[in-house]
Amino acid sequence: MSGHPVTIQDRKPRRRRSRDIKANVFRTGIAVACAFTILAVGAGWWQVVEAQRLGVAPDNPAVIAIARRALRGPIEDRNGQWLARSDRDANGEATREYRDDAVSHVVGYSSRRYGTAGLERAYNAELLGLQGVDPLGDLTRKFNAGPDQRLGLRLALDLRLQRAAVRGLGKDKGAVVMLDPATGEILAMASTPVYDASAIADPDTATATFERLQADDDRPLLPRSTLGRYVPGSVFKIVTGIAGLNTGAIDPGTTFEEQPPAEKKGLVVEGFRVRDGHHEVTGDTALDMNAATEVSCNIWYALAGLETGGGRLVDEAAKLGFGASIPFDLPTAISRVTSGDGRAPGGFTDDAELASASFGQGETFVTPLQMALVASTVANDGVLMKPHLVTAFTGEGPGARTINPEAWRRVMSEGDARALQAAMQQAVEGKLGRQFTPGAAVDGVPTAGKSGTAELGGKGEPHSWFIGFAPVENPQVAIAVLVERGGRGGERAAPLAGTLMERYFELYGKP
Amino acid sequence: MSALAQARPLAGFRLHPRPRQTELLLLAIVAATLLVGGMSLGATQQLRAVTRSGGELAAIDFLPPDTQGLLVYLVALFAVHIAFVLAGRRTDQVLLPAVAMLGGLGLLLMQRLPQDLVTQSFAGTEYGLGQLQLGWLLIALTVIAVLAIGVRSDAWLRTYKYTWAAVGIALLLLVFVFGSDVNGARLSLSIGPLSGQPSELLKVILVVFLAGYLSENRALLAEENTRIGPLKLPPLPYLAPMVAMWAIALGIVVVQRDLGAALLFFAVFLALLYVATGRPSYVIGGLILFVAGAFVLYNLFGHVQARVDIWLDPWADPQDAGFQVVQALYAFGRGGILGVGLGAGLPTIGGRLPVPAVHTDYPLAAIGEELGLIGLLAVLGLYLVVVSRGLRIAAAAHDDFRSLLAAGLALVVGVQAFIIAGGNLKLIPLTGITLPFISYGGSSLLANALVVGLLLVLSDHGAEPPAAPRDRRRRFRRSRLGKARA
Repeated sequence: MSGHPVTIQDRKPRRRRSRDIKANVFRTGIAVACAFTILAVGAGWWQVVEAQRLGVAPDNPAVIAIARRALRGPIEDRNGQWLARSDRDANGEATREYRDDAVSHVVGYSSRRYGTAGLERAYNAELLGLQGVDPLGDLTRKFNAGPDQRLGLRLALDLRLQRAAVRGLGKDKGAVVMLDPATGEILAMASTPVYDASAIADPDTATATFERLQADDDRPLLPRSTLGRYVPGSVFKIVTGIAGLNTGAIDPGTTFEEQPPAEKKGLVVEGFRVRDGHHEVTGDTALDMNAATEVSCNIWYALAGLETGGGRLVDEAAKLGFGASIPFDLPTAISRVTSGDGRAPGGFTDDAELASASFGQGETFVTPLQMALVASTVANDGVLMKPHLVTAFTGEGPGARTINPEAWRRVMSEGDARALQAAMQQAVEGKLGRQFTPGAAVDGVPTAGKSGTAELGGKGEPHSWFIGFAPVENPQVAIAVLVERGGRGGERAAPLAGTLMERYFELYGKP
Repeated sequence: MSALAQARPLAGFRLHPRPRQTELLLLAIVAATLLVGGMSLGATQQLRAVTRSGGELAAIDFLPPDTQGLLVYLVALFAVHIAFVLAGRRTDQVLLPAVAMLGGLGLLLMQRLPQDLVTQSFAGTEYGLGQLQLGWLLIALTVIAVLAIGVRSDAWLRTYKYTWAAVGIALLLLVFVFGSDVNGARLSLSIGPLSGQPSELLKVILVVFLAGYLSENRALLAEENTRIGPLKLPPLPYLAPMVAMWAIALGIVVVQRDLGAALLFFAVFLALLYVATGRPSYVIGGLILFVAGAFVLYNLFGHVQARVDIWLDPWADPQDAGFQVVQALYAFGRGGILGVGLGAGLPTIGGRLPVPAVHTDYPLAAIGEELGLIGLLAVLGLYLVVVSRGLRIAAAAHDDFRSLLAAGLALVVGVQAFIIAGGNLKLIPLTGITLPFISYGGSSLLANALVVGLLLVLSDHGAEPPAAPRDRRRRFRRSRLGKARA
């Protein structure tokens, strides 16, 4: 061993060095104490702050164990018709029965083997009566254990409308969302194909049913109204219209002088040619907003979108719910105007993408629920109501309450909303509009709407879209209909929407 | 007396009984607590068994599930205490009770879990989880007692530090060549019927080596006579072992895939470096190296990436990759403030435990659920007690080697507890190391018994620090000084 380091050590006074180490040890001790304090805070976070959320999570084994024994609260529609109810089997274990396949995507299922979905998942804790487990109340509950009261769900949904929607979609894959624009109450929320939730809930048939559904290429387990994302086509023009009016880029009287000539040879934007097919009927007339909406003029809306600008289009769409999950009873997919990867304002690649997006053919993807909210916002004079399915938690438990309608935000001024209402009415009732939206108008009720034909490229039929509302004055119902590969908007979605709104007025009376 | 005689561990053993009242009192509290815990556990298990079979409970007898095992453990504790009293050394009186409480909690937990989680046959009899843990605890207590009573000199540690380093590296290589994989990490080494995790032993060896190396070179390491740009560094050759340490830690991650051990070694290394030199720049430099290493490892190795991704969002895949992490958080949540009670937690999923590694990596989740936030904080507090006693011993030690050794041993316990507790609580990515004194496992208990035994040895103020064996001049001078003082 070398003597060298020893010599250096010996030059310094010994006591000072030992005091150094002591101080260092002390500081290290402080550091350890701080680290353990962080652990203590972490433990407090999970055991106190987050305990409530963790304690009611559907895949928490304690919750699963309770779900096995406990009866779930009932789920019923707006008229008190039961949609889901519980009973006990011969062994005393809880069973769950569902009334109608038509509501399967809304109500979901509760299965011992496959967990929960839909409202059964979203309100698992309330339905089981678990809402009382808060860690502070737990301190006293330890010594005073009593079963919590389960709650039932009263939905805004009308089973009759829901059935009509599923019947209307028939063998097609698609989605229908109907809501009351003034309250945000969801009246119908259909998705096809449907599935048999009772068969998933029944332990005897669960495995066979679930595996068959999962293997099905039509994806019957996917709730298309909330989680399906589709190219919108021309129904997106209403979003462009809202953005343009809101930012002052357009007004109802705006005309574009480059529009009529472009009808023949197409509008060239950065080398990309926007085409249209209605010059035989409109000729050399420069269209205003109403006329452009009536004939669904791609070129007018492309110009309106370019005038608005990508950044403002994305920002205005965000007010309608684009770009984020819509706060709702069920999980929702995020609708988007553009992929956001580009360098142009708003995340567009270039003006060509912006022009296409302005009439719903860019990198735009939307959920049927999102498009129903667009129609609903226009119908409700510019105020977007929070969409909701559950109108009341019923029962004796402490969480029983009614859910009141709530405004989410004002998206645009009343005047601008009325301008769009007029344009959408013309698109349904106008001489030319009727050719694009046959069957959408309800007899004796002023109806507004917009059809969409979402070209998907390649072969195959386009997606058929329609959004609308009725009556135009004081609207009672707003609707979005999507039929996958259903052809032109006017062929499939518009007549179905008309039928369903007709059915609404049959049930609730014409104004 | 020759240097060799001084280095002999058991030299000069005589009986000098000396009462240890603090230790006795604390041990009595520990024993009472563990008994109450055992009774509560027994009652809960009876109640659960009866309700599951659909019957009514006529009367509960408050008997622990394995009364015999618990009593054997408590008797062993007091036996160690009596041995300490008879030996008459002035060693620390708080360490044993603190560690005994943690070990006892671990024992209760192992007795409460399904016994077939771990089984092993000796001489034709099959032993379950609780019995095995009891066996290891008894061996661990023996190790503590033998070390704390028998070892008078630390020369055998300080003299042969490079030998220890060589042993450590040999262990690493052995694991690399002959080891078997546990959960995708090469951790375990089998000799005959016994298998162990050498990284547990390695951490003790590492501290011994670092204490020896740093106590010898700390003056030099604190100097700044090499300049590289704006950096002032100590003489470069003295940095080599530091860089080697960093490389070894990385090697453990890459070759053995043992993230926990690597993190533990590197953290203890940095902390000791700071204690020795008092230079925060070392710690900062080490952290920068750590971040750089972590970044590279994350991008190069799937197992590192997987751990980090699970940590960031275990709910991305709650049924598979994130299952255990999510289930542990549920367990913490179910515990709340007061806990559900010993034996009343851990609801099974289809007959299986929600947290499969609850006995090794996740005992804290079981404690958090059954004893609540209060129990969990108490456990964390016990670790702080162990660490603070160790650091006190370090601060009071007579020379640098003993200071650094004691500090290092204390930090090994503290840092290891932090890493696994932090992993359990999702504060840092989970790495599979044991919770000291509580987790199931012989290697872990024995290595931590070594730590406690050595800390007790170092706490004995009666023992004068021995002279550096090969430097006769210095030893001579110190013995003269000693006489003069007397």
